[in-house]
Amino acid sequence: MTAVDEPRGPDVTIEAAEGTVAEKKLGWGFWLAIAWLVLIIGLAALAPWLPLKDPDANFVDIQGKGRPPYSPSGDHWMGTDQDARDMFSRIIYGARVSLVVGFAAVAFGFVIGGTIGLVGGFVRGWFDRLSSFVMIVLLSFPALILAILITSLMERSLFTIALTLGILSIAPVSRLARSASLVFSEREFVTAARAMGAKPSHIMIRELLPNVLIPMSALALLGTAVAIVAEGGLAFLGLSVEKGSTWGKLILIGADSRTLENSPWVSFGPILALFLTVMALNYAGDRLRDYFDVRELAL
Amino acid sequence: MRSALERLALVILLLLAVSLLTFAAMNLLGDPLFNILGPVAGDTENPESLAKIEAAKEQYYLDRPFFERWLRWLGDFVRGDFGVRFASDGQPPVTDLIGERLPRSLLLMVMAQAMAVVIAIPWGIAAASRANKPVDKISTFSSFLLVSLPGFALGLLLKFVFSIKLGWFPLAYNAGNPWTERLHAFVLPALTLALPAAAVYQRLLRTDLITTLQEDFILMARAKGVKRRSVLFRHALRPSMFSMITVFGINAGALIGGALIVETIFEIPGLGRAIVEAILREDFPVVLAIVMIVATAFVVLNFLVDLFYSLLDPRVRT
Repeated sequence: MTAVDEPRGPDVTIEAAEGTVAEKKLGWGFWLAIAWLVLIIGLAALAPWLPLKDPDANFVDIQGKGRPPYSPSGDHWMGTDQDARDMFSRIIYGARVSLVVGFAAVAFGFVIGGTIGLVGGFVRGWFDRLSSFVMIVLLSFPALILAILITSLMERSLFTIALTLGILSIAPVSRLARSASLVFSEREFVTAARAMGAKPSHIMIRELLPNVLIPMSALALLGTAVAIVAEGGLAFLGLSVEKGSTWGKLILIGADSRTLENSPWVSFGPILALFLTVMALNYAGDRLRDYFDVRELAL
Repeated sequence: MRSALERLALVILLLLAVSLLTFAAMNLLGDPLFNILGPVAGDTENPESLAKIEAAKEQYYLDRPFFERWLRWLGDFVRGDFGVRFASDGQPPVTDLIGERLPRSLLLMVMAQAMAVVIAIPWGIAAASRANKPVDKISTFSSFLLVSLPGFALGLLLKFVFSIKLGWFPLAYNAGNPWTERLHAFVLPALTLALPAAAVYQRLLRTDLITTLQEDFILMARAKGVKRRSVLFRHALRPSMFSMITVFGINAGALIGGALIVETIFEIPGLGRAIVEAILREDFPVVLAIVMIVATAFVVLNFLVDLFYSLLDPRVRT
């Protein structure tokens, strides 16, 4: 396109260039979200070594403060629950389980679903058709019902809950990996690698994987948020991890009408932690998605 | 039409697979005999217990091969008989329990969808007509907050503000109340489901509206002197609702899952509460019936949305 044909050409190019520059910034909101995530992950990981109160100890003080739950104070930053246990340290310790469930579920979904999608999009043929059909079957089943079914029948350990949520994330992850793999398989660098005689496994690992992985990092953040919320939902149905406390279980402890009326901090503390974390994951994921310009993303 | 038939066949195959999987999981991982009789089931020494075990096996067909039991159950299910509960007397029948609980969950979802659309349309129009102005930015931000707030957390917040602090809505559902009061108790749970859905619908409507508002016929209408409000509601709204309607259909399936949790918060004895109670008691016929009903509703809804979609937009037909 020459300047003669398109008199407004230069303006358009400048606008477009400015547009891309603006798009390629992640913005301070993104770094704020990342900062929150680093903070909460750091607190959760280092909890046993931090000067926190014992999350299972009962700080009953009948003479001084009467019956628990006690409202937030300098002593208990976020108050205590009905058994006078410190909510602040319970939320930090709860983060350990909630975050592990979220990340483990997504990691599982990515390893299995990502591999299936990547290979399917690259080799096509019967493998692609079969795996696509299985994904359709998985996607057409209501996720929460499947989770209820599995968790109600199995021993509910950290591992099985994470596994259940991981199985649910296979299908959406695989779909995105497949479409990304399909697109990149047509690109010149793959053709070049083929022409030079590279093995299919080499092309998939060295050429396709790095390219497919970038757009999928956005999905990883969004998926973790979904998994953490799903764990909370299961907790509300009494189907979360049996041992140890998660954010969902903490919220449930303060969820009955009387506790909510007399001591709302028991459920609002963990709700705040959950909300900020989910929001940070969603926001960071959204920004990354725009940044890498991933259009076909649906969870 | 052929692809529609193919899809229907797929739906039926899918439901058969779901029922077989569910039925197998419950019979292999659970212990039906123990669930019916309790500790007596393990006591094979005592002739009295042994007689009870034999009678229970006879009554619940537990002595038959697995496949036959599945077919028997499936045949009954299709005819609307969901079997007997795993309890010593098997009362009330699962069908009666479902018949009592299902209408409440259904009403909750219909109310939620209606509220979501009623909220989303003015919201989307307000945002689109002032695109990229402060109003639009605030609306974008608040819809982002709503989507990040899990349903159970939103439900608790609404309950705290409107039921406990303001006292506008009852704290719990009471089946004995007149229907106006029962409907009143449904408002908050329906709103809990509706708000995040409305936020999603609003975003879709806004995007489509912004595109429509740049069309020539809008300019034409404005040039003719049609009022701004009238252009928005009469001319621009209808051709901009396509994405919203599609997601509306898909969301109907997703709401089922949310409804199960919201029912627990607002103490509505619907399907959600029924499945939780049944899981705690290991009353598997109830769990099985509810899983099948929800799965059927979900799969059939998605099928109908696909069908509707291809009728609306000829480009989707293959």
